[in-house]
Amino acid sequence: MSETHANEGTEVKKPTKAEKVANAIAERFPNAQVEVKTNKWMRERVWVRVQKEDYRELMKFIKALDGEAHYSIGIEQDWGEELGFLNHLVIYYDDAPAVSLLIDVHAPKDDPTLPDISDIFPIALQFEREGMEMIGIDFEGAPDKRRLFLPEDFPEGIYPLRIDDKGVPEEMVHNAGHPYYLKGGAKK
Amino acid sequence: MRLSPLIPTVLRNLAKKPATNLFPKMEPVPVPENFRGRLIYDVDKCVGCRMCVTVCPAGVFVYLPEVRKVTLWTGRCVFCSQCVDVCPTNALKMSDEFLLASYDKYDEKFIWFKEEEIEELKKKLEEQKKAKEAAKKAENK
Repeated sequence: MSETHANEGTEVKKPTKAEKVANAIAERFPNAQVEVKTNKWMRERVWVRVQKEDYRELMKFIKALDGEAHYSIGIEQDWGEELGFLNHLVIYYDDAPAVSLLIDVHAPKDDPTLPDISDIFPIALQFEREGMEMIGIDFEGAPDKRRLFLPEDFPEGIYPLRIDDKGVPEEMVHNAGHPYYLKGGAKK
Repeated sequence: MRLSPLIPTVLRNLAKKPATNLFPKMEPVPVPENFRGRLIYDVDKCVGCRMCVTVCPAGVFVYLPEVRKVTLWTGRCVFCSQCVDVCPTNALKMSDEFLLASYDKYDEKFIWFKEEEIEELKKKLEEQKKAKEAAKKAENK
């Protein structure tokens, strides 16, 4: 929010920082889909949809672009046919508004492997561990592949955040029950 | 050794009255306006629109299609008041009650519109239906 307030008073110079970053990425990675979206508070975000092969290179490129790039979060997603991993980074945050950068990479479900980037952004490892257990993306070369949140006795091959048949089955879902149903209310 | 800087404050406070509410002996601290206490359900006002079922985050409501009412178990209620806000007929409201401790989670006070009441209403509706049909027949004749 503070970024938008800072923006209101001063005149926005074209091209903005976000657009510059978007252009730099589009130039270096012609296969990537780069888009600058503006939300209703006029906050710009750079959305990059990158191919699996370019993903590691892109992360290295961002690290080279701004050595203090801040990796905020990695979000695992199930897109039906594909599994996705969305990275949110903040770069050039010396002066507001910082550039908010979202990097989306997809992997097909029959080959759910993505390259590991925890040597570039060390904190990414935690989000990758979560992605591995929750949705079943295999991060190749990750130094730590242990589970992070799921308990030890949770069955293998079930990924809680999957929306297909590898998700949590019906039998595993419990409900303490409503007294109306417990007394056989609906069956009478 | 240095003395603690808290000592003057402690000594000053020793001479003051305790600022506590001795609850069982005294009235509890008064609740503010629009306090969200125990949920109150008015069966007669309910039209069975199912808005509360949709909006409840805690699964308090069960819709009864035969009588077009809901039955609720406030043992699960999180006091978010969303059902009160969404109810078009004001059949639901929040009371000031907050002393809701109980030995039984299915206590009387947590369940609104109980089994017997549902049965009663069902019988009543059936009778009404029969009466209507009888009236219709009489008209046709």
